[in-house]
Amino acid sequence: MMQSSPLNLRRAVVWIGRLVLGGIFIYAGYSKIFLPNMNPHPPINIALSLFAMQVDSYQLLPPRGVNLIAHTLPFAEVALGFLLLLGWRLRIWATIVSLIMLGFFAAVVRSYAMGLQINCGCFANPEPLTIKTVFRDGSLAALAVIMTVFTFMEVRKPHPWTAPQKT
Amino acid sequence: MNRRRVLAGSLFAFLCCLSCVLLAKAAGPQSVGGVSDVDPHKAFGSKTAPITMEVFSDFQCPACKSFYLGTNRQLMDNYVSTGKIFMIHRDFPLPLHAHSRVAARYARAAAQIGKTEPVEQALFQNQEKWEQTGDVDGTVAAVLSASEIAKVRALVKGGTLDGAIDKDYALGQGYRVNQTPTSIIHSKGQTYPVVGVVSFDILKQFLDQLLSQK
Repeated sequence: MMQSSPLNLRRAVVWIGRLVLGGIFIYAGYSKIFLPNMNPHPPINIALSLFAMQVDSYQLLPPRGVNLIAHTLPFAEVALGFLLLLGWRLRIWATIVSLIMLGFFAAVVRSYAMGLQINCGCFANPEPLTIKTVFRDGSLAALAVIMTVFTFMEVRKPHPWTAPQKT
Repeated sequence: MNRRRVLAGSLFAFLCCLSCVLLAKAAGPQSVGGVSDVDPHKAFGSKTAPITMEVFSDFQCPACKSFYLGTNRQLMDNYVSTGKIFMIHRDFPLPLHAHSRVAARYARAAAQIGKTEPVEQALFQNQEKWEQTGDVDGTVAAVLSASEIAKVRALVKGGTLDGAIDKDYALGQGYRVNQTPTSIIHSKGQTYPVVGVVSFDILKQFLDQLLSQK
């Protein structure tokens, strides 16, 4: 007798989260490192210094913190994006992605509330920080959190097709 | 089953990357070549400097005040005066600021009589006062002599300054400036937009890397 497809709402959300967030993270990291919107592309050290100025414009961190973020975050984004798409050890990477998205959302909300006229710094193309950016980042942060929660739930209550057969 | 999943995930990741690269390339270049319409009264440093920096600002913008009184001063002392940067102040009065265009006129008029720095300093330092009262004239008069303010007033009333301000504004729009302060840094044929207030230490790092480029 046929059972229902393994694709339920939880799994669908996890898949959507992996695809959307994985793709966005890869593009975000890539665009910060290589600045594809510029011709010719500047050297990586200059691209990362440019990103450092965008991080600094949030007025959140001291110069050392700014440099640490600027020189590690783009590479971490690319790696996390790949790991999300691969689906390997998903709970760990989904949790880290959620934490990053929540941290970034908090920074964006703070900056918007303070009226800072800055660029989002999300991608290579300059993008003003507006209410649309806040909602977009909030939605992505929510998706990341829900994806992470559902990933943990999937492990605890897997679909009958994946659960070991009881004899 | 695990191997199949990893392979499928890898293939999907590769396709995502490929589409990202293609999309990014399709976006096209953003840099605007050349620096034009340089008002010599609002430009500082050597024209042969390896870096040209156009700073688009609004006298009524609080972030511009922070930038001018903080980072800009250190830039002038460490990079402009040493011939590393040719700096151009551009007016970009935002429509939401009621008195910023008036302030820009006074600053331009002061620039024409060689009093750029004291007037810009006065306008930024007293920003909160004149933006409430609209008394830009009084703020500028406080730092100029009687004959100087008379010349400035004559220039402002002459109505010839708006053309230059509009040119700066149009130039900014060409660079897709929509916030202030925005610095457009030109180096070796490349253009880098920097939006918002940036601390001198971080900006210095960027500038030093540009200067060390071969």
